[in-house]
Amino acid sequence: MAKTILVVDDSASFRQVVALTLKGAGYDVVEAGDGKDALTKLDGRKIHLIISDVNMPNMDGIAFLKQVKLHPNYKFTPVVMLTTEGQDAKKNEGREAGAKAWIVKPFMPPQVLDAVAKLVLP
Amino acid sequence: MSEDILDQARALFFAEAREMCEQIESSLLQLEEDPADRELLNALFRAAHTIKGSAGLFGLDAVVGFTHHVENSLDRLREGLISLDISFTSLLFECSDHIKLMLRDAESARDGAAPDPSVEQASGGLVVRLAPFTGASAVAQSPAVAAAAAGAGEALTDNKNWHLSLRFGKDTFRDGFDPLAIINYLATLGEVMSVRVLTEPIPAFDALDPESCHLGFEISLQTSASKEQIESAFDLVRESCTVRIIPPDRRVADIVALIESSGNGAAHLGDILVDSGAITRHELEQALATQNAVPAGDTTRVLLGEMLVKERIAPATAVDAALTQQTRNRDAKTEEARFVRVRSDKLDELINLVGELVIASAGTTIQAQKTRDSALVESTLSMGRLIEEIRNGALSLRMVPIGETFAKFKRVVRDVAGELAKEVSLEIIGAETELDKSVVEHIGDPLMHLVRNALDHGMETPDEREAAGKPRCGRVVLSACHDSGGILIKIEDDGRGIRRDKVLAKAIEKGLVAPGATPADSEIDNLIFEAGFSTADKVTNLSGRGVGMDVVRRNIEGLRGAVRIQSVTGGGTTVSIRLPLTLAIIDGFLVRVGDCSFVIPLSHVIECIDGATALTGAANETTGMLALRDAALPVVHLNRMFGIKAESSLRQSVVVVRNGTEKAGLVVDHLLGEFQTVIKPLGKMFRNVRGIAGSTILGSGEVGLILDIGSLTEIARAQADAHEHQRGSASSSQRGADHANA
Repeated sequence: MAKTILVVDDSASFRQVVALTLKGAGYDVVEAGDGKDALTKLDGRKIHLIISDVNMPNMDGIAFLKQVKLHPNYKFTPVVMLTTEGQDAKKNEGREAGAKAWIVKPFMPPQVLDAVAKLVLP
Repeated sequence: MSEDILDQARALFFAEAREMCEQIESSLLQLEEDPADRELLNALFRAAHTIKGSAGLFGLDAVVGFTHHVENSLDRLREGLISLDISFTSLLFECSDHIKLMLRDAESARDGAAPDPSVEQASGGLVVRLAPFTGASAVAQSPAVAAAAAGAGEALTDNKNWHLSLRFGKDTFRDGFDPLAIINYLATLGEVMSVRVLTEPIPAFDALDPESCHLGFEISLQTSASKEQIESAFDLVRESCTVRIIPPDRRVADIVALIESSGNGAAHLGDILVDSGAITRHELEQALATQNAVPAGDTTRVLLGEMLVKERIAPATAVDAALTQQTRNRDAKTEEARFVRVRSDKLDELINLVGELVIASAGTTIQAQKTRDSALVESTLSMGRLIEEIRNGALSLRMVPIGETFAKFKRVVRDVAGELAKEVSLEIIGAETELDKSVVEHIGDPLMHLVRNALDHGMETPDEREAAGKPRCGRVVLSACHDSGGILIKIEDDGRGIRRDKVLAKAIEKGLVAPGATPADSEIDNLIFEAGFSTADKVTNLSGRGVGMDVVRRNIEGLRGAVRIQSVTGGGTTVSIRLPLTLAIIDGFLVRVGDCSFVIPLSHVIECIDGATALTGAANETTGMLALRDAALPVVHLNRMFGIKAESSLRQSVVVVRNGTEKAGLVVDHLLGEFQTVIKPLGKMFRNVRGIAGSTILGSGEVGLILDIGSLTEIARAQADAHEHQRGSASSSQRGADHANA
């Protein structure tokens, strides 16, 4: 059974690239446009990995992460945060919220796959 | 005969020892079925014990040393201190295999052959892994083991595989990481040969928090990937996991060979190691952070190389090779890499050509301006800008810091002060100030005179100083700085200053000053630069021959420089030398007098007054006065000075120039503007013409004369003084007349 990955980003084109890349590698992908949307889409279902942007409308990545970590089903779900260069302050904030894995934007699809493979194999 | 017996017994021993190894293995397999069987445990222990005992008989020390550790662990197992789990069992199998390997080696090597180092290393590796089971730290055991552990970088590997030591933090699971995923990822890089889980840190079941991670792994990985690639597997878990990656032997040899052959020019040890792949950038950063946690100078601060070896981050051989390379780099850097040695005549040739280029460019610009074609003017101007940059670049090639020249005076001051029984300290300021190499070469001698003079004449003895309320130790300051397009060198002392009464008396005696005249203080001070002047009561071998200061002035003027002296009675003397940055090219200001062109060095020009009319002075005199903003400015009429027939134009212009603190005006016909020019020396015939420093070729091909502002201001000043004293000073007017005739 394929592993499921939740991709949260407010850019539809970005989501599409990541989703297609991951699907091509054999993962199932659930997409969400912001933190709030993501929480609705999760709804207790089994997710193996969450990839989330930080800067998003409605609910940003950090707030979303805090919410997710509270949910018993997602306590141990790996979360990869996406950030742009030079957001060290955000990184520290995220670290406290429990985000340990970071990928710095911009990146190429193979990099995403490589990072994901270190956390969840398809 | 006894040899024969021993040989036979040896053969028997090898057969027996192999049997014992078989017994160890079969016992281990049976123990898997029934771990509590005491008889089997005893048999296991006995087998190891027998091997060890008989090996000692035949002098197989390596086998004895290694089996000793196996025996120890089996002893503890027999005592029930440790239990036999899968990892321990597989380790014991490996040990048994290793004993068999050692026996085979020993059998084939026979007497005298050196033991295979790789076997020895493998022993060390296994001993380290056995350490948790023998109940002692591996390092603190026999010297042989200690040695093996010291080379742990190599010893821990089983020769052809990478060895990874992973220790996951307690929060690994909570952070969403799965150690298994990482091991799976490693498998995509190559083949994971073995994974051993460290069970010791796992607490007893009732104390176990299932959400915390207590896992540690020892992984053997066969891969062609680089250390960097392997490390990247841990990119995301860096904060939760401690990772040690130990390369296989072959890799270590490769790394050492790479370091030795690469000729890596990096200055830092860490960079060399990273570039060769011995350590990764991340490992280096961590090691440096650890190192920097101890403040520099603290004795507990360890060297980077030592730390990398001790923490088993880098193999000792690679660090050694990198250190050798680093030393080599350091030597090479200081000597060659940072300097290109060029013959100075080649450089002179280049600068000369660049100078011609500057002239040609100026000529082109002038021609272009005549055409009034704005596009052409624009392009010549931008070309001129570039040529100016080339000129600056070419000139900077000749620039050297003055520090080296200054530094040798430390010794001079020490020695001379010693000879004179004075206490003097030398301070050097602005050693990094750069100036033309040829200027530096020529300034050494004048500086030597001035420094010696300061010590001999200026500086008092310690007792005199104390009596005058000054510190016993005198102070001489040598300083250099850039100042309006030139360089200003100062020699300051805090001695007694110039004794003007003595200087004046001497000057009157020598006929330099008319008796009864009262020259200004600064004028008296500068009298000491006159030829044949010395006030020293007695001639020492250092100074006082009355040639020094005169020669100093001539040398400096020969460099197109100027020297001034300022003195405070009892407070010290300051000699200021102003020198051009270079002797080859000057920025000039072009003027015209009659049909002759003159170039005034731009660094001396203060302002230009077009069509000045308020000139005083008789129509036939060389000099005169100009009322400039309510102050009197002495002026020199260049046409009269050089005997040029002036244009009939009434609108004459004045260029106000400065030499040191002196100001003077030069009366000219036309102001033509700024102009860059190469200085060409004057021929022998014209060398003594007063007021001319050199010549140059103008863009039009005409010859232009470069004015010597030093002597011209002097002429003007002499005139001004004469006015001041209502022509009372015979010597001044005498000198003025000399100039007029020059």
